[in-house]
Amino acid sequence: MNINVRILTKSVAQQYAFKRIVTFSTKPTQQAAAAAVPQQQEVTGPTVRKPIVPAHYRFVYPEFLPDPKVEWRNAVREKLERLDMIDRRRQIELPEFYVGSILAVTSSDPHAAGKTSRFVGICIHRERCGLRARFILRNVIDHQGIEVVYELYDPTIQKVEVLRLEKRLDDSLFYLRDALPEFSTFDENMEAEPLEEGAPVPINDIKVVLRPRPWLERWERQNLLGVANIEQYIKDKHRKSAEKVQKPWEKYDLMKQYRATIPEEEQKEIFAEVHTELHTLELQRKRNKRKRTFVKPKHLA
Amino acid sequence: MAQLLLRNFTRAGNAALLTKGTSSSSITATSAEPGSCQLHTTPACCEIRKLARLRVVDNSDLGKRAMAEGRPPRCIHVYNKRGVGLIGDKVLVAIKGQMKKGILVGLKQKQRIKQPQFDSNNLVLIDDNGSPLGTRIHVPIPTVLRTILKEKTLAKGADYTKVLAIASRYV
Amino acid sequence: MLRTVLSDLARLRLNGSVCSVTQVREKGHLNRPRLRNPYWFIRQQRSQTDDQVTGENRSFIKEVIHDTYGTPALIKGVQTYEQKQLIKTNELPVPTEPWTPAVRRCGVIARKIGQYPLWLKNGERIRTTLLQVVDNHVIKYIPPEEYKPTQRPNVHNLNRYGCVLVGAESTNPAQLTKEYCGIFRDSGVMPTKNLARFIVSPQAALAPGTPLNVGHFRVGEFVDVRGKTVYHGFQGVVKRHGFKGMPASHGVTKTHRRPGNIGGGGEKGRVWPGTKLPGHMGNRWRISKGLRIWRINTKYNVMWVQGSAVPGSTNGLVYIYDTILPLRKPQAALPMPTLYEQPEDEAPDDIWYEQVHNFKDESITYKPE
Repeated sequence: MNINVRILTKSVAQQYAFKRIVTFSTKPTQQAAAAAVPQQQEVTGPTVRKPIVPAHYRFVYPEFLPDPKVEWRNAVREKLERLDMIDRRRQIELPEFYVGSILAVTSSDPHAAGKTSRFVGICIHRERCGLRARFILRNVIDHQGIEVVYELYDPTIQKVEVLRLEKRLDDSLFYLRDALPEFSTFDENMEAEPLEEGAPVPINDIKVVLRPRPWLERWERQNLLGVANIEQYIKDKHRKSAEKVQKPWEKYDLMKQYRATIPEEEQKEIFAEVHTELHTLELQRKRNKRKRTFVKPKHLA
Repeated sequence: MAQLLLRNFTRAGNAALLTKGTSSSSITATSAEPGSCQLHTTPACCEIRKLARLRVVDNSDLGKRAMAEGRPPRCIHVYNKRGVGLIGDKVLVAIKGQMKKGILVGLKQKQRIKQPQFDSNNLVLIDDNGSPLGTRIHVPIPTVLRTILKEKTLAKGADYTKVLAIASRYV
Repeated sequence: MLRTVLSDLARLRLNGSVCSVTQVREKGHLNRPRLRNPYWFIRQQRSQTDDQVTGENRSFIKEVIHDTYGTPALIKGVQTYEQKQLIKTNELPVPTEPWTPAVRRCGVIARKIGQYPLWLKNGERIRTTLLQVVDNHVIKYIPPEEYKPTQRPNVHNLNRYGCVLVGAESTNPAQLTKEYCGIFRDSGVMPTKNLARFIVSPQAALAPGTPLNVGHFRVGEFVDVRGKTVYHGFQGVVKRHGFKGMPASHGVTKTHRRPGNIGGGGEKGRVWPGTKLPGHMGNRWRISKGLRIWRINTKYNVMWVQGSAVPGSTNGLVYIYDTILPLRKPQAALPMPTLYEQPEDEAPDDIWYEQVHNFKDESITYKPE
């Protein structure tokens, strides 16, 4: 029931909201979602073959899709970049994670005493593509909000653990900077919470509570879904100015959508190229994990 | 009361962005917290330059009292050639009518990759010899400070590495 | 004055439909230095007329092209033709003279294909630009005694150097003019889209038809990259020279992005030469010098050079030379006159400079003191 209501409110909000086009959104856009439905029906037909590449790869490996700006694209460069990314992925496990997931990153640090440093935090933003892919972790330690930017393919990173795999209602959580500190406080010694295999990634529908104004950004203009008390702090003039900058027509702007994303056919090509490698890596990791979890019974006496 | 104090702390830390709010909200904030001067008309600036408000994060008596009163120290000079304080730089601050020196141990400004960015501009008060006035820093400090402060400590002159000794935690 | 009168007269006559040419001969008119381009500056593209060629004939033309130059092929990531008629590399003359720092070698034509970061072994991140050498072939070598350009390039002691004409990116000759294709006739190279001349020492002369690859350069050495910067059109001073402009309000009217004062009065009452003013921005030839080659991929003919500020747009043409900076001259001998790649060579695809972290290696860790 709760889920239904949530989905309803979300879709309603999306319909009337100004939608900022995010290059690699964690959520399929409305058009994509609508397009996905008839496609599934087609697949059931006898003539159409099942696609080899799983459809969720574009969300799991968003950085494999190049920058959609046409002037910057080049097939050879993109190919070399993908080869390098796979080479790096053979060395280190870079797990699936989303904005809103809680991560622990262990990296080599020449300044630290033990030459490594570990930081636990919630991923508030993911951006860029290829070898430049990076994400921001945020945590509150000793009542002090701290953010660290990591590059996904940086060779000084030794380990990336996902402690809690989940999504949030928004594509970036910069509003946690203006929220009460308890919403971005996470225990450093947190244990990983494993998900069942094959289970869909849960969406955490927690609504954060903002501090009173002044804020870092004008959150009331961004149609955020994960904020509870935005109405409490804004006045009529804010509401009016927020209404003025809304662009409700943008969701009909198919050209804008097209320019801001990689077309589906190209996505298929790209993932068909890297799919076998990524799949074998996934299987290998799974096998290793099982091996690790099996504890040899202690020989008593 | 304690809550109010804590709030004061965070407000002082975020002082540089206070001005984004409209004057009316600032005025209401001021009226809610008598004694603290919260009305600022200068634009938000995340850099540490002259007259930037800082947050003292050690347990020195002077710093604690200044923060509790809601009158955070202001930077009145940055000891480098650029005039903009970066992490590990020495600054001169005006705190409770006195001039004291301090070291920046956490910044709100964009930092390099893998180096932490803080929600407030943190300061540790030191004397002329580089020894800190307090005995403990109660927030994490970045590990890169270990290298920077060691480099800044020369054979003759102040020894800044004493600040590292009172740190409770590194990030 | 006289000329204008005469030309007026001529126009009058023309209007009167009398066809005669008025000749004007004045002193200085014929002696004026005339811009004479090198002979390879010819109209390249043929005007595409829809001549009545049947489908059969069209396929015949295609067949002839494929017979003479080979079938279309993807060689080293570039769409081109497999040119079987070219000289085999093992038949090429063996270089006799070794490399010395005084030798000026040939350069290559490349495309800037993008940029991405690499990491050094100490964990430092560097920004690199990828340059792909696109299907280069030597077309002609002009020895020093014959090379007499009318516009002298800015090269010291030019009479000591010859000139190598290099072409890049083979294309369908049916789309080119007959004269342009004539440049390539003697070399046996398929006509190319792009041409460039490189000034070389006679020791570094190359035989026509020699392919130039990225192996011409060594990892760790420095190169100069010449390209045409991105064109921005006519721009104001704020964008062109980074002026600050003036405030948006506070009584400022109509001068928000203008340069303001451009000079003093009195003795200096004029605009001084070199004053920064609005004008065309970009579209200039620029050389960024002394860029280190961090990595080379021989499979796709790609080199990674230092920095993300190589002139030109992505997918734009650039020319790569050995650096002229005296302190960054190569220490070890470079391949002379170029590296002849043998097909049976089992060289690794990727050649990394020793300081660069290979992505196939394990993560970087620091040793505790």
